[in-house]
Amino acid sequence: MAWLFVGPALLGIGLVVVFPLVYSLWLSFTDVNLLRSTGPAVELWGMRIPLFRWIGARNYTQVLTDPLYWDSLWRTLYFVGAFVIEATLVGFGVALVLNERFPGRPLMRSLLLVPWSLSRIVVGLLWIGILDFEFGALNGLLLRAGLVDGAIAFFKEGWTALNVLVSVYMWNQAPFATLLFLAGMQSISEDLYAAAEVDGAGYWRRLWYVTVPALRPIVFLVLVLATVNGFLMLDLIYVLTMGGPAYDTTTVSWHGFKTSFTFFKFGPGTAILYTLTALCLLLTVVYHKLVLARFEAEG
Amino acid sequence: MTTIDRRTFLGAAGLSAAAALLGEGALRSARADKPINFSGWVFKPDTVKDYVDFFNRKHGGQVKYDAVPWATYHPTMETRAMAGEIVDVMYCNSANRERWADNGLIRPLDDLPGMDELKKKMAPGNLEAARSRDGSKVVGLPYFTSIFILMYNEPMLQQAGIKAPARTWDELMEHSAKLKRDKISDTPYLPNWNNSGSGTMPQFLSDCHSEGANIFDAKNKVIADQEPGAARAMERWQKAYKDGLVNPEVLTKTSSTDTHRLFWTGRYAYHTNHSYYLKTIAGEPENSKLAPKKARMAMYPGNGQTHMFTEWYTINAKTKVLEDAWKFARFLGGNLNGDWYVQRQWCLIAGLDNAYPEMYDNPEIIQSYDRWVDLKLLREQYKKGRPINAFKEPWFSEYDSKAIAIVHNIIRGTSTVPKGLKELTALQKSLA
Repeated sequence: MAWLFVGPALLGIGLVVVFPLVYSLWLSFTDVNLLRSTGPAVELWGMRIPLFRWIGARNYTQVLTDPLYWDSLWRTLYFVGAFVIEATLVGFGVALVLNERFPGRPLMRSLLLVPWSLSRIVVGLLWIGILDFEFGALNGLLLRAGLVDGAIAFFKEGWTALNVLVSVYMWNQAPFATLLFLAGMQSISEDLYAAAEVDGAGYWRRLWYVTVPALRPIVFLVLVLATVNGFLMLDLIYVLTMGGPAYDTTTVSWHGFKTSFTFFKFGPGTAILYTLTALCLLLTVVYHKLVLARFEAEG
Repeated sequence: MTTIDRRTFLGAAGLSAAAALLGEGALRSARADKPINFSGWVFKPDTVKDYVDFFNRKHGGQVKYDAVPWATYHPTMETRAMAGEIVDVMYCNSANRERWADNGLIRPLDDLPGMDELKKKMAPGNLEAARSRDGSKVVGLPYFTSIFILMYNEPMLQQAGIKAPARTWDELMEHSAKLKRDKISDTPYLPNWNNSGSGTMPQFLSDCHSEGANIFDAKNKVIADQEPGAARAMERWQKAYKDGLVNPEVLTKTSSTDTHRLFWTGRYAYHTNHSYYLKTIAGEPENSKLAPKKARMAMYPGNGQTHMFTEWYTINAKTKVLEDAWKFARFLGGNLNGDWYVQRQWCLIAGLDNAYPEMYDNPEIIQSYDRWVDLKLLREQYKKGRPINAFKEPWFSEYDSKAIAIVHNIIRGTSTVPKGLKELTALQKSLA
């Protein structure tokens, strides 16, 4: 009887989660040509799903010996590191503010969600409007205020372009971290703060000894989500830089996308993207050890 | 009161059913038996829908059209083919067409009725491009063709006392330097160095061709490092970037469309891009400060040669409605309607260059082009458009994309010209 109830959900998960994962993992070990699928195939509700020719780890070897992959990986690690730190700190800071009582707080909490609720294509276009060398609003303001002699080209150098990507993505994603932190803060018992105050703890001590430890599960969640999102970020690159100038803003996800969808090399493309999956899993374990394991042991 | 007995009722019902069947039969005789699936990338989809509706009405078609975003168009079509879906008529860009032909996704068109007539009407360069790599078959009908042109901002040149647009690259650099020096423009030259497939590399080929350089040899191997003209073009690009004559962010613009919109501002003196963009620059006062006709076209500097390419309508090799699919393909890429309906529409609506020269004898088109370009000069430039055959090689798509980073490094001076050109040659060798 229990299987009858969970069966539909399991079937759904199997179809939309497990099958694509397993199939794409399989593709990363095969020689994929979408137009010449003459090898074995699986029939699923009348649809032919080709399995392609197994070539072992050749795609992974090819990917890992490509200098472009390693360049992209170091750039990705910088991007993810900077983004996770910025999104977590800004999200936490804004949550602290919004947890206080002040006039207009409900409105502020609602407005907070606007950046997060926008499509990233829109976010990209919006920030082009702000930062563009030719018609950007920021350059206009700086020039009119006499703070700069000429317009700033934020996307001229790869390094600045990469940091612009980090900041724009942070602007888009930090509200979600704020939301999680805020929910966590509101679930902390007022008694703990009252007891700390009785013991003579000031604001910073209460923050450090009450708020932060109580938010550990939320910190873990924010870190994991920000890390995964950072590794997979693709759409802002598409709108803002297309991975350029040259390869200066090419991350592993963009490299995988280009390999798959521009060069039609779906085998190496999925291999590239599975290395990201492995990295995400690895970092999740690390975060668990650093943030959560000790907390659970204490609990 | 009139009563209806069972016999009368059955008789009337039988007659009604027969009439309905006959009616359906009559209707069906005018319509295609089966639907034709038609897919294209997103470019003015409402226009496409309009002419699909026109075809369905006038030629009794049952065309079902869907538009797929450009970025994922070709992979989407391949995935659909892999899953067994047959899209009868498809757009295909030049870089992917040969792979589709090699892998049996699309069919040759030579055996189809009326093809020989269309071949005779097509410009030789476009017909050559329509042929498969070995030259034996025509595998597509032209959707549109494109050449790179030089555009200039006439009021700005006049303001600077420059009487005529640059005829040589040296003149263009001198004009740009003067405009910057005189503080008339911060960045007088806007080359199409954007990061997409329609930007940096077509611009690279255009400038190399205009310097008399061959980038590919007769066997389609890259020989950029052996061509002094290519080195000259790259040295000029480096200098323009270093001297601040170009918008420094043009390397991260994501499309030729985005790039050409910068010219709307009227802050640049010269712009090189696909010819059809001059239509919005010089012909749309609601968008561009350089309309009407304040932006003009000049012959491309150097020897005048520029890069030319064509995009295609193709027919699925597995189509089960070949006759209807061909009829529709001829409506799109040929002259089924007798008045070049679709080809003419693209000239009028978007200013797309056309593979059939007789299009430009049409009074409506002449009148329309007169609003934004000197048509005679455009046709002169078209004669100097130089197609390449390398796009038919299986490595071309990847080469064309990866080469952008190498050329960007040359422009920015992070690579020297000889080293960069050698890298282009090495890149092609590594992919072949």
